[in-house]
Amino acid sequence: MVAEGKSFGLGCDPVVGSLNPVKKREYRVTNRLQEGKRPLYAVVFNFIDSRYVNVFATVGGNRITVYQCFDRGVIAVLQSYVDEDKDESFYSVCWACDVDGSPLVAAGGSNGSIRVVDVGREKIYKSFVGHGGSINELRTQVLKPSLVISASKDESLRLWNVHTGICILIFAGAGGHRNEVLSVDFHPSDIYRIASCGMDNTVKIWSMKEFWPYVDKSYTWTDLPSKFPTKYVQFPVYNASVHVNYVDCNRWLGDFILSKSVDNEILLWEPKLKDQIPGEGAVDVLQKYPIPECDIWFIKFSCDFHYNVAAVGNREGKIFVWELQSSPPILNARLIHPQSKSPIRQTATSFDGSTILSCCEDGTIWRWDLVTNNSH
Amino acid sequence: MVSKPTDSASKPRTQPGESANDAIGTLSFKINQLKKQIQAERVVYIKEKIQRNGKKLQCHMSGVMSAISTRGSSQTEGNRKIPILSSRIDHPLCKFNGFSSVSGDKDHNNQDALSATSIKIPCIERLPPYTSWIFLDRNQRMAEDQSVVGRRRIYYDQHGSEALICSDSEEELTEPEEEKHEFSEAEDRVLWMAFEEYGLNDEVLNIVSEFVGGTSLEIQERYKSIKEKNIGRLDQPSENSGQSESTIGICPEKSLSAALDSFDNLFCRRCLIFDCRLHGCSQPLIYPSEKQTVWSDPEGDRKPCSDQCYLQVKVVKCLSEDSNSCGAEQNKRTTIMEETDGVLASSIIEEPSNQSSLPFPSDVDCHGSLNLNVPILVSVEKRKVTDQSDTTHCDPKLPPDDSQNSCKKLKTISDDVVTVNSDSRKDINLCARDVLDKAVKHNSDKLIESSSTFHSDEPDKSIGDGPKDPTNKTEFKKLSNSMEGKVDGMISLSDWKPLEKELYLKGVEMFGRNSCLIARNLLSGLKTCMEVASYMHSGGVSMPHGSIIASSSIMEDKGKFDVECTDQEIPSRSRLLRKRGKTRKFKYSWKSAGHPSIWKRIADGKNQSCKQYTPCGFVQKAAKIGLEDAIVPRVNAEVDNAHALLQDGNVTQMSVGIAGCGDGSLGEPPRRGEGQCGNMRLLLRQQQRILLAKSDVAGWGAFLKNPVNKNDYLGEYTGELISHREADKRGKIYDRANSSFLFDLNDQASISHHLHFLLSCLAYVLDAYRKGDKLKFANHSSNPNCYAKVMLVAGDHRVGIFAKEHIDASEELFYDYRYGPDQAPPWARKPEGSKRDESTAPQGRAKKHQSH
Repeated sequence: MVAEGKSFGLGCDPVVGSLNPVKKREYRVTNRLQEGKRPLYAVVFNFIDSRYVNVFATVGGNRITVYQCFDRGVIAVLQSYVDEDKDESFYSVCWACDVDGSPLVAAGGSNGSIRVVDVGREKIYKSFVGHGGSINELRTQVLKPSLVISASKDESLRLWNVHTGICILIFAGAGGHRNEVLSVDFHPSDIYRIASCGMDNTVKIWSMKEFWPYVDKSYTWTDLPSKFPTKYVQFPVYNASVHVNYVDCNRWLGDFILSKSVDNEILLWEPKLKDQIPGEGAVDVLQKYPIPECDIWFIKFSCDFHYNVAAVGNREGKIFVWELQSSPPILNARLIHPQSKSPIRQTATSFDGSTILSCCEDGTIWRWDLVTNNSH
Repeated sequence: MVSKPTDSASKPRTQPGESANDAIGTLSFKINQLKKQIQAERVVYIKEKIQRNGKKLQCHMSGVMSAISTRGSSQTEGNRKIPILSSRIDHPLCKFNGFSSVSGDKDHNNQDALSATSIKIPCIERLPPYTSWIFLDRNQRMAEDQSVVGRRRIYYDQHGSEALICSDSEEELTEPEEEKHEFSEAEDRVLWMAFEEYGLNDEVLNIVSEFVGGTSLEIQERYKSIKEKNIGRLDQPSENSGQSESTIGICPEKSLSAALDSFDNLFCRRCLIFDCRLHGCSQPLIYPSEKQTVWSDPEGDRKPCSDQCYLQVKVVKCLSEDSNSCGAEQNKRTTIMEETDGVLASSIIEEPSNQSSLPFPSDVDCHGSLNLNVPILVSVEKRKVTDQSDTTHCDPKLPPDDSQNSCKKLKTISDDVVTVNSDSRKDINLCARDVLDKAVKHNSDKLIESSSTFHSDEPDKSIGDGPKDPTNKTEFKKLSNSMEGKVDGMISLSDWKPLEKELYLKGVEMFGRNSCLIARNLLSGLKTCMEVASYMHSGGVSMPHGSIIASSSIMEDKGKFDVECTDQEIPSRSRLLRKRGKTRKFKYSWKSAGHPSIWKRIADGKNQSCKQYTPCGFVQKAAKIGLEDAIVPRVNAEVDNAHALLQDGNVTQMSVGIAGCGDGSLGEPPRRGEGQCGNMRLLLRQQQRILLAKSDVAGWGAFLKNPVNKNDYLGEYTGELISHREADKRGKIYDRANSSFLFDLNDQASISHHLHFLLSCLAYVLDAYRKGDKLKFANHSSNPNCYAKVMLVAGDHRVGIFAKEHIDASEELFYDYRYGPDQAPPWARKPEGSKRDESTAPQGRAKKHQSH
């Protein structure tokens, strides 16, 4: 611990979680699906509509699939969509809503276009073109579920209004990322704030406060979407080099940031913004959540709705479930199955954290359910 | 935390005989303990922080929770269409049962069959890439690619398996290491504890540096700063007051040269910036050889610049001659008295507590109350009133011996007073002039009365002045006696500080004997026009031209005067003075003060002959001086080249003779055998058309489009200006490049000889390897048709290429690189030498960087 803490300086070292599980929780595989042969890159529960909290969507290859989790490990396929472009490989999927509250699914991938599917009507709703590279992540603003942000290989982030199909803002330029953007997340309470990270090893916090009029405008825009005065946000409010390698996933934990690099750990750190110098800020790394064998990029973690646990897979098909808000961090469970050997690209944690889904490189979906004491 | 160490700090001091080992042992133990404590505190801190954050987050999420639970509700009012998704939950496409048991190896649900039921998403056309172009670093067309800043260049030796890593500059690599250690709070604590308890010595330092980051020097500095901070916390107020007093602008006691020292040192007059990178600091000053015409105003139509203009005095004098012989003096006195009164009265208003008890505010009080207002306001009048009030203020109160001293003391005080009350004083001035006019017609007795009544009329001062009028009157009477005969002296010659004197001399140099302009432009806030005028008349230096001599004599005093200059060249360039600071190092070339005017003339399109082009001439002379001072490395290209060759190994330099307009010889008129001054062509870029083509000898070559005659100017050799140190480094790289792939890459053949021009009297080398013009492609020949010459152009050293003989159109250009016997590449020795077959990795690398 001292050796690790050296780089942080005396009195600034983070608390490192122990990899010996406390066995506080126990998960068991309750289902396993083979969804085609192509790798699955994303799986996500619907956290923006309480009617569908047990509905999840997966993407892999040119397919988007919507499932429902039932009790006792039952998984039902609700809908399936296939892009006619066979070369498309979706990398990310997210849930959204139009202003009426009708559920939408947005997916993006190697093509660079974002497909918005109206799952309430089972048809394609809109397609957004604009990104110059593949899309690495899509996230929805929970408080305003028509707003979707995309992180792309073209080093930019774009904020979309899925309801009107408008690209509102582009976060790129002079202060932007200098390599592929791999992950992005909306702040849970500060509606103006987003955090993004990528292959330039940095995590950047952006503010759209000054541009919010454009966001409002996008809801009432009736003209052609291409005529919308899309704005560039060139400078982030904060820029941190917390990691020394690709940062492939970041999430807000309140005002703190959880970020995962390819060096086998998730960091929880506090961004300390300095008002005097915009764009520069200090980092206070608070906690470390080690994840062994997690040294390839594009492995993303997921949290339950209340951010109590985070589940992250690794290169060998194991899943680590960390209790996020305890200090020191507690490893709740290590999910190991002899047949799960393929890299887990993303996990999905259910609303209450009782179910963990993982989607793997080999095209399988695994469902792990919490073993409650009642079942014994 | 502060108090605790001080208690224990006494311990080691009382027991100096205690063995060092013990002390050190306990120290590391203590530090370890402290460290553990710090770590424990940190854990607690993090825990608290996370808990706080968690609570906040919980709060937010419950808000989000309520938001997401009402998603469908807005719909229920209008079109209550249930989304298909909801119905699908009840009727899914298919269901996969979960594993009943843990074992489920065979359970493997396969969803592949489902694809038939999936909904097609129609293809969408991708945007053409140009529409999604966004401003990225790599989308910029920048010269950055060519520069190697922050990039490592690696050269592979083809034969030996050696890889040479060459970073372009060592500084870049070492910089992160030298980064200052930022001390955390915890480290501060450890530092403080250790040094407070065990004193600041090497052993303690060693132990501390084991625990704390940063070098021992940094640790010591940090300790000092912490100490200061802690001390500062105790007696902050005293520190503050000390600081506020020290922030006073220019010091008039300094000499002008001292005041301008940093300006002379740091300001680059060519680039018009401070700390110029190119030309360095401590550039010698060059004064124009031409005598600048003094800015003169016909004195007849001059209007008074202010009410303190010396022209006013003239007017008054005329008047007084008409009416009364002593009227003028009286007038003067009256105005002074009035103003004094005004000042005093207003200062009394500032201090109502004093006015009843004291007839005059005592200087101490005045100081105490008004010194807080730091005077910033600078007005021409201020000074005058100050001086006058000084005299009036002190004379009646103090014995004449002390008056001088107290005057000095009071100077600052009354400055303040005047500043504060400048508004009211202006009123007084206006009124004073009215009074002045009247006064000419009255006798002196009445005059005093009128002045005092005038004060009581002032609305501002009615309170303060009322009771004081009688005293004022009497005071003034005394005053007028004591001041008789003094007034003039006070105005003219008293307290001209060295700086003011020198400024005055400068002013005379610039404006002639025009006190208005001098006072306004150079002495504003320091002296009034009248003062300047009287100073001028009082023989205070009766020298509009001698001023330079005076200033130079000042320099002589300090031993910085250039003797040679005065010895030989006084008639022609009496102003060619050069000052040097004590530790100034001569770094770069001479600058011409006439430079802007040249440009202007060029812009005007006048063809400029060398004769008119004075800068060349005097720059040469200046250079001469520099040489004889032996501070500059001698202007001798050969010497430096030889030196550089030794360092660079195979790197070759083209040696060139320095040549100015007049071929460097002092005093010689510019050589005009070539018809036109060479540097003018360089300056105007009147170059020949150079063509780039495959050389007959090696690689690329430079060819001439049109025929030229002997000594014709062909063009300028340009490149990066780099330091010697950088040149050595690059030399190593080029050396490598030479031996490894010179012959493999035909593109590189001619450029990898990478000409270096040494601008020898500078610390710079011209490197055309990465950047340059077409002339760099000219190849080497032992029998060249061109030669290079370093020239001084508008003060900059530039390299011109000239024809050595008549050259026909489309002939290839050669010059002599002056290879050493072993340095010349084979093609230079036997022109048809090499093969160009293999394409190697270095080629790709080179191409990637697009350096040529």
